[in-house]
This record gives sequence, C-alpha cells and structure tokens, in this order.
Amino acid sequence: MEATTYNYKVVRQFAIMTVVWGIVGMLVGVILATQLIWPDLTFGIEWLSYGRLRPLHTNAVIFAFGGSAMFAVSYYIVQRTCQVRLWGEKLAAFTFWGWTAVIVLAAITLPLGYTSSKEYAELEWPIDLLITVVWVAYALVFFGTIIKRKVKHIYVSNWFFGAYILVIALLHIVNSAELPVTMTKSYSAYAGVQDAMVQWWYGHNAVGFFLTTAFLGMMYYFIPKQAGRPIYSYRLSVVHFWSLNFIYMWAGPHHLQYTALPDWAQSLGMVFSLMLLAPSWGGMMNGIMTLSGAWHKLRTDPILKFLVTALSFYGMSTFEGPMMSIKTVNALSHYTEWTVGHVHSGALGWVAMITIGSMYYLIPRLFGRESMYSTRLIEWHFWLSTIGVVLYIASMWIAGVAQGLMWRASNADGTLTYSFAQVLNTMYPFYGIRLLGGVLFFGGMLMMAWNVWKTVKIGRVVNDAPIPQAVHA
Amino acid sequence: MDSGMVSGIVTIIFIVVFIGIVWWAFSKGNKQRFEDAGKLPFDEDDKPAQQGDKQ
Repeated sequence: MEATTYNYKVVRQFAIMTVVWGIVGMLVGVILATQLIWPDLTFGIEWLSYGRLRPLHTNAVIFAFGGSAMFAVSYYIVQRTCQVRLWGEKLAAFTFWGWTAVIVLAAITLPLGYTSSKEYAELEWPIDLLITVVWVAYALVFFGTIIKRKVKHIYVSNWFFGAYILVIALLHIVNSAELPVTMTKSYSAYAGVQDAMVQWWYGHNAVGFFLTTAFLGMMYYFIPKQAGRPIYSYRLSVVHFWSLNFIYMWAGPHHLQYTALPDWAQSLGMVFSLMLLAPSWGGMMNGIMTLSGAWHKLRTDPILKFLVTALSFYGMSTFEGPMMSIKTVNALSHYTEWTVGHVHSGALGWVAMITIGSMYYLIPRLFGRESMYSTRLIEWHFWLSTIGVVLYIASMWIAGVAQGLMWRASNADGTLTYSFAQVLNTMYPFYGIRLLGGVLFFGGMLMMAWNVWKTVKIGRVVNDAPIPQAVHA
Repeated sequence: MDSGMVSGIVTIIFIVVFIGIVWWAFSKGNKQRFEDAGKLPFDEDDKPAQQGDKQ
C-alpha cells in the first residue's frame, strides 16, 4: 500500500537532538573561553584540558549540532517538496542511531586523548568507518526519496542537500585514508605538504559544503516559507548552486599561505577564494530580496529576524573570508584571534542563527502546533544571540589585529619588540568580552530549550502529517 | 602541449560552461519551468495535522 503520510519521527528525533547538542557544544565552548582566561580552571585534569576539549567543542557544534539539524531539515524538506514519504524507513532510523552513536563515541574518545590530529577530522579510524556507513545510508535515504518523488521538479534546496551529501562523502573518504596501527591509533596515508593540502582541502570544504551548501538549502526553504512568498529569483538560485559548489572546491590552499605549499597553489587558493564572493553574495541577496514587499514582517516576526540576521552574518563572513585569503592580509591575520572571530561570525551568526530560526519554524509543526509555546522568548533569544555574536566577533577582530601587529613588530636591530607573554597579556580584556558574548549566546540556547520543552509538552507527536493527494500526476 | 596551454584550455572550457549555465537558467524557454519549481514549497498544505498520536 502506498504511504499517505510523511515520516516525521526521524525528523523529530534529529530536531530535538539539535537543541540538545547545541547546548552541549556551546557549553564546551564557554568552558574553553573561560580556560583561556583562567588556565587552571579544571584543576589540571587531563581529560578536561584545553587541547582535549577544543576538538570536542568543534566536533559537537559542527557535526552534532549542525549535523543533526541538517538531517532533520533535509529529511523534512525532501519529503515535503517531493510529496512522498521518506524512502527506506529502517535505514532512516539507522541514520539517527548511527549518527548519535558517532557523537557519543566522539564525546568519549576525544577527552581521553584519542585523535588522528587532523582538524575537524580528529576521530580515530573505527569511528571514521562508522561515519562512512551512516553517511552511505543517509545518501540512500535522501536520493531514494528524490527518485520516487511525485512532482516533476527537484526543488533547489534538494540540489544543495544532494551536493552536500555527495561532497562530504568524498571529503571524508579521501581525508580519512589512514593506516591503522592499533584499535585507537592510525597514521595518515599522506605525508608532508601533501598531507597538509589534503587536510585543508577537506577542512575548507567542511566549511564550504557542511556549513554553507547544506545550510543554504535550509535557507532556500525556510525563508520563503516564513516570509510567505517564493524565493526572489529561482533562476539566480540555479546559477548560485553551480558556481558556489564549483568554486568552493578549490579554495582550500588559502589555509596554507606562506607554508611549504608551492606558491602557485597558494595563489590559486587565494584567487578562488576571491571569486567565491560573487556566488556567496548572489545567494545572500536572493534570500534577503525574498522579503521585498514583506519587510514589515521583520518587525513582528522573531523567526524571520533570526533567518534574515543569519543571512546578514553570512554576507559579512563571506566578505571577510575572501579578504583574509589575500596573501598580504593573511600575513597579518593568520594564526591570530581574527581567524577565531571570522569562524564564529560564520558559525554563530550564520549557521547557528539560520538553524535556530528554522527549528522555531519546524518544531511546532512536528508536534501538531501552530507556533512555539512563547514568541516573546524567541524575541529574547534573538536579541541575546545577536548581541552575543557581535561582542564575540568585535572583540576577536580587535584582539586579532593587535596580536598580528605585535607579533610582527621589530626593533631597529631586528629583534622582536614584544615577547609572546606580553602579547598574551594584551589579549585578556578581549578574552573577557568574548566570554561574555559566548555566555549570552549560550543563555539564548537555554531559553530555546525551555521553549521547546514547553512546546513539546503541550503539543502532541504528529506521525501522520498527510501527503497532499491532489497534485499526484 | 605545455602546462600553460592546458590551463588556458581548461579556463576557456569552464568559462563556456559557466556562460552555458547562465544562459540555460535565464533563457525564455525555461522561465515557466523554474517558476513552477520555485512554487514547490507552497504546493502543499502545511497547517499542523489535525489528528496526532497522544504522547
């Protein structure tokens, strides 16, 4: 018998876990920010040391929070825009439990110090294998659903999700090629500068495809839905899709400016990064212009505020990124707090805010309600997050530029003007402001958890959202 | 053929592909098709389901 309802169970599981992992990941971030001010905060316990918690923070926010959000929205959007139930019921359930297992394993092994030492790919080889299996299952469920769709077209969000799923598979398999020595230790299949280049081809595309392409798919569905009008230019979104994905692939070398990487490869990375500005801003404009004629909704609708502010931060960080990839700018910014600020303008401002807005749209619908328990709390959450991000990135900009200038300052006889400890000392006030920004953002997430909890309590689990029957060809 | 020649040819191929995509996306013949696709999120009823399982 043909299914007449959508599969909301797996969407609901991932949506709830998005909030949970968001809180966990950001709490670890707040602890790290505190450790930078008070290094003895965790009494020298090795499991809680900065070096072990830092990969836990990045993995938790990117793959646990961001990953769960992507599973939830891609499963929701692909069903609703293809007007069919998710393909592979059991496989979809497996992706939830499999992905959650990966996250739990990460939370255990990283503090214990097991790491492949590749940034954003620290997990050791048995976990890498599990990720591969879960990801293949994800691809099967997603593309299986696309194949059995009832509508003629494939909506642009699904194109973005499809690209994200394929490219992440490619990146993960190539960068995780490693030689296991024991159950908990492996060595990279590559050596020297090749290893570095493969790592940053992976690392930058983790940003490009995990944190950008995937979340643009989210934007292309939830902004039109929340604004109540179709995307400003669907045809621009087609050009956006192909050019963004093509160009992102080549930008990785900008992470290795002034290293052993050949000069031509460094310049190539810089040029492609500069070119990225065009599709990034094209996509941003497309999203923002969708509101033309409905700008007044921004005044009253905090969900729309989240989504549009996310796009503004997206525009800011995709302008900043290409600028930082210019070799002369990179000579100042690289290895400083500026990079940390840039990452968080993207991660908190863009990824987290578009996710939060989308979850506020999605969660009530998964629990049979018109809206969240409290719209006022969403408004509060919006302002806390916005102020939090602004404090965070402004303090890191100033800190980063100061740090870069102090490191390079030299006396007439060629000796360095400032010692490392002197530069560190200058950082303290900025670390304090950053901590405040992080705490505000984290506080907003706690509000969200409370709001979601109340919404779920008064709502009911919807397992039978009907698939529209009229449109069947 | 030296590497400069190869990169020149590759660059031209990519420029042609890009122009092709823009032409395809904005050509008159495809206008309707893309407008229809853009309306997909609205071709459905997204009111909360009336029946649902009690928790």
